Amino acid sequence: MVTMANEWLLLSPAAAFVLAALALFVIDAFAPEDADGGLLAAVAAVGGIAALSASGVLLLSGVAADGVELFGGQLVVDGMSLLFTFIFGSVTALVSVASVDYIRELPHKAEYYLLVTLAATGMSLLASANSLAVVFVALELSSLPSYALVAYLKRNRGSVEGALKYFLVGALSSGIMVYGISLVYAATGSLLLSDVASALGGASADYPGVLGVGLLMIVGGLAFKTASVPFHFWAPDAYEGAPAPVAAFLSSASKAAGFVVAFRVLVVGFPIGTIAGTLDWVLLFQVLAVVTMTLGNFAAATQENVKRMLAYSSIGHAGYALIGLAALTNAGGPGAEATVLGASMLHLFVYGFMNTGAFLFVALVEHWELGRTFEDYNGLGREAPVACVAMTVFVFSLAGLPVGGGFLSKYFLFAGAVGAGVPWLALVGAVNSALSLYYYSRVVKAMWIEPPAEPLGIERYPTALYAAVLTAAVVTVLLLPGLVVFDGIAFEAAASLF
Amino acid sequence: MVLETVPAEYYLVLSAAVFCIGLFGILTRRNALVFLMSVELLLNAANVNLVAFAFYWGNVTGQTFALFVIALAAAEVAVGIGIVLVVHRNFDDVDVTNATTLKW
Repeated sequence: MVTMANEWLLLSPAAAFVLAALALFVIDAFAPEDADGGLLAAVAAVGGIAALSASGVLLLSGVAADGVELFGGQLVVDGMSLLFTFIFGSVTALVSVASVDYIRELPHKAEYYLLVTLAATGMSLLASANSLAVVFVALELSSLPSYALVAYLKRNRGSVEGALKYFLVGALSSGIMVYGISLVYAATGSLLLSDVASALGGASADYPGVLGVGLLMIVGGLAFKTASVPFHFWAPDAYEGAPAPVAAFLSSASKAAGFVVAFRVLVVGFPIGTIAGTLDWVLLFQVLAVVTMTLGNFAAATQENVKRMLAYSSIGHAGYALIGLAALTNAGGPGAEATVLGASMLHLFVYGFMNTGAFLFVALVEHWELGRTFEDYNGLGREAPVACVAMTVFVFSLAGLPVGGGFLSKYFLFAGAVGAGVPWLALVGAVNSALSLYYYSRVVKAMWIEPPAEPLGIERYPTALYAAVLTAAVVTVLLLPGLVVFDGIAFEAAASLF
Repeated sequence: MVLETVPAEYYLVLSAAVFCIGLFGILTRRNALVFLMSVELLLNAANVNLVAFAFYWGNVTGQTFALFVIALAAAEVAVGIGIVLVVHRNFDDVDVTNATTLKW
């Protein structure tokens, strides 16, 4: 059994984010005119690296393998929360480093890094949230800084408009979600996930409709956070309008945060075995997964703007990750369920690197002010070959080709879906993956094959942005063998939820 | 006990009515500030449920959570007003349907 001191150590990943945010507050208070923002970025990046190191050490040491409840069960630290905090730490570090060059000329740098670390704090709490109250508070802590971050370029119409749409949909869906939570409380008398689960069969039978509508509304709130249909409308506009590093942060870390809380709320709080008669959420997620991945991939295929294509592809990937919930039909037994849920976590893990890297490459191109369409990328391979090799790795890994971890995580996911007794979901996913190869390879073709319309005239090769892009690329490639070694962590984390 | 005279279901009806008014406002009004007010109605509909059912179940979980919701509603409006302000500066209007530079 863990002692009191160790309980606090278990929260060290979240504490790393909090300390980084507090340090940024202090620096901003004493030296508001820090010229290049390097110090601020370093503090945020160190916070991210500390969080990922702490969660990595805790994960490998296995102290929290069975899940340790803190604060009377409000928070739980287990394999899944540590795995996702590792993702948030990595993405925060990559985005902070890349932002040094991206926002070099812009004011309010301290606020920018502050909002990133505060949002990351909210995400790491979301990963540990074990009661609906904490879910809502942590969700808002990660969402509110994100709205402000999207509007960071406050004289840019696209940035402001993206933030407005993100905020409008976000405020609506959080209102719907908290009403859903209140209905679940009305039906069960508790907000703790374990108590909600044990109340499902008892008194809540008096109010099956209230409970079902409440759960449906909570799922709506989660769909917003994961950018899944039907609350996906904000994603393309927010990602396109936002500064590219912020888009990287939102589409990777924020999405993963939405999924980790969806996994825990639905699997722990509303086990499908007891709630199937009220609201069969597995069936609901089967529909959502198919619609989300198909809509995301078809819309991505029609885009002319690379950033918007990546935004829709990120909706498509939300559809793949939803398979982890949609395949919990209990047809293949608990082992198969843990496998497919773990595969979904692994996919979000790899996605955290490859998608962040792809958006950071867009940040690099925006930094060069080359434009945003596929044509603007023509001939980039000759001018910036190293970065373009990295981008090629990202998009092919996103498509599921065996150049990066994306191949293995998709393989695990589809194989897991087959093992869990829903082979048709794997088939839809595979068809969508094949389609996605079309629009991903358009980027590669533009970069390496098409000649540029006019000389690109790239003069600066920003060090920090390059470092972030290349780190993401190296990790994406290393995850191909790495996933084979470390996949057990995700499967065990998933198995401990059931 | 108040709830012996007013059944718990009545509170559900009240909160559902408030929620629907808020949702109607969000879907039909174009002014971003009215949108913010409508979101407040959604959150307060939830608060009615939370407080009423805290009495029904005899625990204070719901009441405590309602306090958190009130605080978060204030934070959300603060960020929202900020965004509405930059929207007004860039588009000279707070009509949410005016900002259409991004299209599919």
